[in-house]
Amino acid sequence: MSDREKLLKKLSGAQFAALEMQLYLDTHKNDTKALRSMQEYLREVAEYHREYEERFGPITAKDLYGDTDFSWLNAPWPWENESEAKK
Amino acid sequence: MWQYEKKLQYPVKIKNCNPKLAQIIISQYGGPDGELAASLRYLSQRFAMPYPELKGLLTDIGTEELAHLEMIGAIVYQLTRDLSIDEIKKSGFDTYFVDHTTGIYPVAASGAPFTAAYIQSKGDVITDLHEDLAAEQKARTTYDNILRLCDDPDVRDAIKFLRQREVVHYQRFGEANLTHSNRFIIDYIVVGKGLSKHGSPFEIDSESN
Repeated sequence: MSDREKLLKKLSGAQFAALEMQLYLDTHKNDTKALRSMQEYLREVAEYHREYEERFGPITAKDLYGDTDFSWLNAPWPWENESEAKK
Repeated sequence: MWQYEKKLQYPVKIKNCNPKLAQIIISQYGGPDGELAASLRYLSQRFAMPYPELKGLLTDIGTEELAHLEMIGAIVYQLTRDLSIDEIKKSGFDTYFVDHTTGIYPVAASGAPFTAAYIQSKGDVITDLHEDLAAEQKARTTYDNILRLCDDPDVRDAIKFLRQREVVHYQRFGEANLTHSNRFIIDYIVVGKGLSKHGSPFEIDSESN
């Protein structure tokens, strides 16, 4: 697994955990423990998100703010594998 | 509105192409219990939902289903990468290929194109939540059937993730049903507030209940 994939896995893991808490809170809105848990995961998401974009490029097009080139179009796209992206 | 993230919710990395399997799995893209139907169902139902918890739940699950649609598209794409004409003919993928080449098209495994007739949006809390509970189980069964027909570990890994999400969504809809179906009966049928309070033009005649 490349460094890019490892970091993407950490980001996706934190996002997934936050989403699970989000869905749970939709039906348990007064569960403060769950709310704190979601907030903790969201802090992790923000941290990994920033690190990923610094090293590997934007995850949303708005993250290009301040950049000089339009790296949004750079490979790989999510459905491509790494070798295909190099073609 | 929505914003696109250039990543999959869960990774899809398939080493070996398998057009026969792609033709089965495409059912979760555009078939009767697929991810497109799921997303459109929840994102449409939420407008007429009178309770904030349910508006939130339908928005959040409807959004996640779009991420699942993208994963299914990625699976079908990777299973049909670098095919030879010979492989296309031998696998039976030729019947898809003739209409779509290797483009991803919302269609059932049987060949029936996607239709909104797969979903319902009824404007009634009890009816819509029961539709949603059934939809999650139908999708879970479809993923079970895919797992019965598939022995590629790369594909099974992603399919097992998607199957598990159906179970979690069913759980959340079940909780929503427990907490809000009775409330809906009391608010709008027994007390007879009528739905017009929340923008719907229809009054419920409490005498008839």
